[in-house]
Amino acid sequence: MLGSPSLRLVGKRLLMAVPIVLGVSILTFWVLNLIPGNAAQQLLGPEASPDQIQQLEEEMGLNRPQVVRYLDWLGGAVHGDLGTSLVSRQPVTDELGPRLAVSGEVVGLAFLISLGLAIPVSLLAARWPNRMLDRISMVVSTTGLSVANYVFALLLVLLFAVQLAWFPAIGYTPLSESVTGNLRSLALPAIAIAFPLFCFYTRFLRSDLVDQMQGEDYIMTARAKGIGPWQVLLRHAFRNSAFGLITIVGLNLSTLIGATVIIEQIFALPGIGQMLLQAINTRDFIVVQACVIVFAIITVLANLLADLLYAVLDPRIRYGSN
Amino acid sequence: MRTRKTLCLLLAVPLVVAGCGGSSGSGSTDDEASTPRRGGELTVLLDASFAGAWPTGLDPATNTTGGANLTQMSAIYGGLFRLVADDDGSNAKVVPHQAESYEFADGGRTLRIKIKPGIKFTDGTPFDAAAVAFNFERDMKSTCTCRPQWPLAEGGISTEGNDTVVLKFTRPNGAAVNSMVVSNVNWIASPTALKTMGEDKFKITPVGAGPFKVVSNKLSSELVLERNPDYFVPGRPYLDKLIVKSVGDDQPAYQALLAGQGDAYEGMTTTPLIEQAQANPRLVVTQQPATSPYLIQLNTKIPPFNNKLAREAIYYATNVEAIKKGLFKDWYPVSQTFTAPGGLFHHPTVPGYRTYDLEKAKQIVQQLGGLTVDLGTLSAYVADQVNTALKTQWEQAGIKVTIHSEQLNGLIQNFNSGKWQAMLQTAGAWDPAAGVGVGFRFHSGVPFSGVADPKLDSLLDQAAAEIDPAKRDQLYQQAGKLISDEAYGPFILAFAPANVVVKGVHGPGLTTKIPPVVVNTGIIWDEVWKSNP
Repeated sequence: MLGSPSLRLVGKRLLMAVPIVLGVSILTFWVLNLIPGNAAQQLLGPEASPDQIQQLEEEMGLNRPQVVRYLDWLGGAVHGDLGTSLVSRQPVTDELGPRLAVSGEVVGLAFLISLGLAIPVSLLAARWPNRMLDRISMVVSTTGLSVANYVFALLLVLLFAVQLAWFPAIGYTPLSESVTGNLRSLALPAIAIAFPLFCFYTRFLRSDLVDQMQGEDYIMTARAKGIGPWQVLLRHAFRNSAFGLITIVGLNLSTLIGATVIIEQIFALPGIGQMLLQAINTRDFIVVQACVIVFAIITVLANLLADLLYAVLDPRIRYGSN
Repeated sequence: MRTRKTLCLLLAVPLVVAGCGGSSGSGSTDDEASTPRRGGELTVLLDASFAGAWPTGLDPATNTTGGANLTQMSAIYGGLFRLVADDDGSNAKVVPHQAESYEFADGGRTLRIKIKPGIKFTDGTPFDAAAVAFNFERDMKSTCTCRPQWPLAEGGISTEGNDTVVLKFTRPNGAAVNSMVVSNVNWIASPTALKTMGEDKFKITPVGAGPFKVVSNKLSSELVLERNPDYFVPGRPYLDKLIVKSVGDDQPAYQALLAGQGDAYEGMTTTPLIEQAQANPRLVVTQQPATSPYLIQLNTKIPPFNNKLAREAIYYATNVEAIKKGLFKDWYPVSQTFTAPGGLFHHPTVPGYRTYDLEKAKQIVQQLGGLTVDLGTLSAYVADQVNTALKTQWEQAGIKVTIHSEQLNGLIQNFNSGKWQAMLQTAGAWDPAAGVGVGFRFHSGVPFSGVADPKLDSLLDQAAAEIDPAKRDQLYQQAGKLISDEAYGPFILAFAPANVVVKGVHGPGLTTKIPPVVVNTGIIWDEVWKSNP
């Protein structure tokens, strides 16, 4: 079992993840220290005297050298302690858990919606290229890619919350409180994030499928064998196009996380994006650092999952095997 | 922030089209009975970048944003004093609330505050003079800039019996009580709960003697409060539950109100949205009386504004009436000094004030051989609009202008550098000596002032110390005249945010006018009620 190529792949990727996450943490720490102002100044407000700021900086340990502060933080982080918020003085790890769950739900739903729609629409468009459905999908996806997701979010609220009252405009209902309430509270934020993704995936997958269907020898061979057009599309062309889609989905995750920062603000969702924005505003570097590290770990894991999916889809891909 | 504000304008048209027409509900409540009803829950939405941010928790001794978090703090703690006014905002005055009464002695050097008998914190412990003195001592020791700026004498906090707290100052402090309503010292925490919980836990689930007690608190996100059944005012509060939610901005808040996810929104500043809300029959908009006028601060310590002529050019080149009409449809009053109609000691004009005169401005600029100005402000809808208008106006007089708006940190750094030239800021407060009062912009000892004039310092200090209101008025008039004569900075108009509620919500400060002490109005939450609870 230990010699399994897939396990070796996982091990290799996980080992590679260590320097990546470490690099991200160093870079984040360095960049955050370049930003003007610090938590002490932000906390004390505009009326604070330089002496007061200095006193608080000493209390917070912000006057220590950057390297010392980073190593202190790193020492705690490897033991699962991401530090104490400079502003609220609460443990960051305690705060991150529930917020990560909210953001995770939104992002997960957005993925489900975007992929769940993009794949069938692309297949239908590729099955009958340049016909009505194909043209409509192109118009919709071009429009979707031209509209920023926060604009789309506000329009969604206007239509589905204000006018039709189908979904709440703001707020979050925990899953433990009500399953339907939870899904209703997350529907609009998830759609707002999913729509641009759906457009992007549809454009990509449709054009790749059309290319495969029109120009590839293996498609001609399959057709020559008398295999039906849907079977050719699904079992041959789509399987091949799926590699590109997986790569894009993996790479898109970081964009998706970025989108949560804005969307959570608009929908007043207590997620990690909202936490990150508040922390940036108050120069709470410990919280920002923790959020960025969590994002980095999720991105690395998503790309690992994408690599594993390649191997699942294509037996020839066995990293490190003969 | 700018992007979202632009978005507000973009979405203004579709929102109007979406069926929000009708007559204005401004300043009035619905036709239902005016007798308050008990019960119901109310969700109040607060802007995440101001009142809806409470990152340091809700302990009065450490909440650095207490001046913005008036709703959260007064709902939990009540307050020793509070600012009340007639329904139209007139006759505003600070009255004792958890305090029974107060009196100044020794010409304003001693302040005695008598506490109402029988009040208890929600943990059952007594709210007495010892508890108040404990809080005052704790506030004074705090490193937070929210600590009171009292000129306290050595051992200046003491008690007389169970019900009186005595404050002794080194000099007269006539503004001490008026300042209290915007200061964290107004909110008294339970000493027992503080000791039992520890400060870190207390700031999350604080215990006070206000109309509501904390059920849950997610910092800068959601605060759930329930009725305090042992509140010292019989029959109050009317509401069973108060939920405070932080929302991204005016636009999402407005949409949330329309969608029924909120009952009230405090501090709307985006004028196109205020207009829309006024046109919506489902909403009631209460434009609060202005207390803090916008001012163009000029840094008189460095060129070009160390030259009085350059300052005069700015006065003559600024067309306040055009800004008032063109940008804000005459909604906001013009002021020539640091007071506004909603505040104390207001006089709308100052004798000899330099008003718009383009020709004079052009002449002075020519005489100076040109004038180049860098004009900054704190990023906000109204400030950005005014700055853009000023740039256009000043350029007509031949002044070269660059404008920029910044977040708070950048702004502070700019002030601290001392290299700034001109800043569009608000000045003054309901009482000019309270909070971010007039001294904040004009006293030589403050880093955010561009003026160093010992005569002006003396006038402002005397006015803050004086206990006779008539004498204070005279002193502030003299200070306003001096600022005008020396051309230390032209005033623009006095803006105040609006509170928006859905019909059926009533309450002082929400559907009646109460002047903002500094930025936002202190809503009297124990008197807020719903027609259909």
